[in-house]
Amino acid sequence: MIVMSEMAAQVWRVLVEVGDEVAAGDRLLILESMKMEIDVVAPVAGRVGRIDVEPEQAVDEGDVLVELV
Amino acid sequence: MGGWSVQLDELRRRIDLVAERGGPEGIARQRRNGKLVVTERIERLVDPGSFEALGQLRGQGVYDERGGLEGFTPLAQIDGFGRIDGRKVVVMAGDFTVRGGSASGAGGGLGQEPLPQERAIQWRIPYVRLLDSAGGSVRSFEELGRTYLPDGNVWTQYDVDLLSVVPVVSAVLGSVAGLPALHAALAHFNVMTRDTGQVFPGGPPVVREATGVEIGKEELGGHQIHTRVSGVIDNVAGSEDEAIAMIRRFLSYLPSSVHEVPERHEPRPPAADAVDLDDVVPRNPRATFRSHDLITALVDEDSFFEIAPGYGRARTVGLARIDGYPVGIMVNNPMHLGGATDVAAGDKVTRLINLCDTFHLPLIDLADEPGLMVGLDSERAGIERAGARLICAVIDSRMPWLTFVVRRLYGVGGQAHHRPRGMYRRYAWPSAAWGSMHILGGAAAAYRREIEAADDPEAKRAEIEARLLRIASPFRTAEATGQDIIAPSRSRAAAVEFVADAQRLLADQVGPPPNRYRP
Repeated sequence: MIVMSEMAAQVWRVLVEVGDEVAAGDRLLILESMKMEIDVVAPVAGRVGRIDVEPEQAVDEGDVLVELV
Repeated sequence: MGGWSVQLDELRRRIDLVAERGGPEGIARQRRNGKLVVTERIERLVDPGSFEALGQLRGQGVYDERGGLEGFTPLAQIDGFGRIDGRKVVVMAGDFTVRGGSASGAGGGLGQEPLPQERAIQWRIPYVRLLDSAGGSVRSFEELGRTYLPDGNVWTQYDVDLLSVVPVVSAVLGSVAGLPALHAALAHFNVMTRDTGQVFPGGPPVVREATGVEIGKEELGGHQIHTRVSGVIDNVAGSEDEAIAMIRRFLSYLPSSVHEVPERHEPRPPAADAVDLDDVVPRNPRATFRSHDLITALVDEDSFFEIAPGYGRARTVGLARIDGYPVGIMVNNPMHLGGATDVAAGDKVTRLINLCDTFHLPLIDLADEPGLMVGLDSERAGIERAGARLICAVIDSRMPWLTFVVRRLYGVGGQAHHRPRGMYRRYAWPSAAWGSMHILGGAAAAYRREIEAADDPEAKRAEIEARLLRIASPFRTAEATGQDIIAPSRSRAAAVEFVADAQRLLADQVGPPPNRYRP
């Protein structure tokens, strides 16, 4: 499953690595938008297949952040 | 025994013919497509046994040489009176089983009965549209033997008038195109069914002809587009029953017309498991909270009805009750865009303010406002005009307005939480921070030369920011301006008092709104 950014923001922290097993609701990364830290959580359980972003990278609404397999 | 049995038989026969709607095949197709039949929809919408049709016998008869009725096609629409929770409404319902719900082109001329929209205006009662029709059809040109000018405004003028007189709700329960697509939007609240509801001025075949683009109807005008991107439709429902439940719920907060105040329901305390408002704002100024938690702690239990949850998500808005009295409520949602007002959130708030002002609901505002959304996307979308419209709505509104400054209140976006006239009251929580702009970021701009000239610019910036943050305490403001600061846990009691006091003003504000409602 592809996890996309729901808003224009900057990547603040990436909390997982490729290969990590995550449960639904686990935090994957933290975005920063208008000085707020906004958690991006796993919508389903899975393994982190790839990570498309790194800290300080700007993302737009709809950009792919992480893929869970 | 009178001599009218032949005529009474004909009346019964015509009522039966109307009840056949588009015939067994059309009805079977409707069911295969996962949709209810028009009569079933009406039965579910209104209180049992309360429906009374208007213009029931309309349609097109085919007559034999002796003038006997040979065949009959009903109008692709059913209109009538019904009751919702005991209160009378007018319903119009499109019927896709009859000619795809298209207008017949017949009718018109002298002696026409009033339109259902006119009845709603004259009776001063809400107007509900159950839409499942495609507007005009080229077929009608052939039946008429001519074309016609697109003078739908002969009818639509009443749809426009309705918006400033009675609550108007539209449900999109099928593929809705042409004038019915505008009817979807000419409402105070609208809902569409997931998968079976679509809205567009012209569907996929028209798009292909006009632009050469192949696109499916769901992709073109389904709920993903309209309840998340365009904001044309407020809410999405998983079923027609859910859509109907939302219509009934929405209307329960509003009066029957602008000439009355909303009804008070049985007061209830907030939910027992609601958060303690004294603990809801995190100490970390960059951490978020859940906007719904604030609402739940402030309003009567189970009384919040959210409007447009998928659109303009930086603001959570809806209707609720406080001590039984209906109110409009809005909260900045820091989990989306940090709660900033982008064009979508600004639109959503403008509509809520206009709704409250038109139907005499006090507005409860929980502000954690970082400002108007900045950035290129926001410029492309036209944030300044959206902001200007929002400010006009704020200034032109009259309904009593209560703001709690929960946390941030910055810039011109923050200004939109204040009305310097009419019954307006503002409390701040001790967690509040405000200014004409955010100190972090604002310092970098205002002290740029000083920072750049320093040996260590980063250290200089931190020093200036620390200096400014020291004077940002809300208590310093309170000393000078009289701004009241209260414990967050006192907010419910303050809101109960305010909403009760508001009733006298609201009673005085009934009647046609000074500003006509715009969708």
